[in-house]
Amino acid sequence: MAPRTLPIKKRGFSFEVFMWAFTRFTVFAMYGLILAGIFGALIVSSKTGAGFGDILYWAFFPTLAENPLGQIGMTVLAKLMVIAFVLIACGHGVHGVLEIWDDYVTSESGRRWARNIVITYAVAASIIAVYVILTA
Amino acid sequence: MGSNRNISLPAGITYKGGPAFLTYMLHRVGGATLFIFFTVYVLSLLGLGSMRALMNNWLFLTFILIFGLFHVINGLRISILDLWPKLMLHYRGIIQVEWIVYAAAAGCALFLLFTRTFGG
Repeated sequence: MAPRTLPIKKRGFSFEVFMWAFTRFTVFAMYGLILAGIFGALIVSSKTGAGFGDILYWAFFPTLAENPLGQIGMTVLAKLMVIAFVLIACGHGVHGVLEIWDDYVTSESGRRWARNIVITYAVAASIIAVYVILTA
Repeated sequence: MGSNRNISLPAGITYKGGPAFLTYMLHRVGGATLFIFFTVYVLSLLGLGSMRALMNNWLFLTFILIFGLFHVINGLRISILDLWPKLMLHYRGIIQVEWIVYAAAAGCALFLLFTRTFGG
């Protein structure tokens, strides 16, 4: 049995198609950032002598650990990468949570409330995360 | 806009959809788990002591690793099948490969977590 596939050109442009593309784009962006982060941390680790694990731990928990990178340029780059990862993961997660929610809440008002609450939460959490990472 | 689903929870849980349905359900559980992790992460960044303690709790991390890793690896399978739809013909075999990769990744991660937590 041949797989049932529909070329992208014939899919049209609806909210569902947009969100499908958005979800896939964010997934690939996250995989890319993970790989870039691992290779970047390995390179910086070999150049500065800082521990690979220490760099990754500090990058994600800048308020809990000492900055192992002396150079300002590297510090800014690492922070920007982590911020990008957090924002992309949040966008991806919002869509996923809403999709699950839509399956179990079937009333129109319930879905509208769920969307408002989840999106507001995601925006607020993202702003907090970005602020804390930048100012740490 | 409301759907007309009329499936009870027991009927949904006992639905025999095979390995594809199991991965679908676990993907959702994993996604919800990672969303919880994201919340705890943001709150621990803010400096909440209880959230920092939770981030260092081995039971919480075990839960996150088991379901979060499945979400990541299953997401990779879904992306690969999206990019190469002809592979859908072999989806059962691909799911079996996914389970092997997942078992190896989760086994390594849990081993490292447990040796760090309980010494070794």
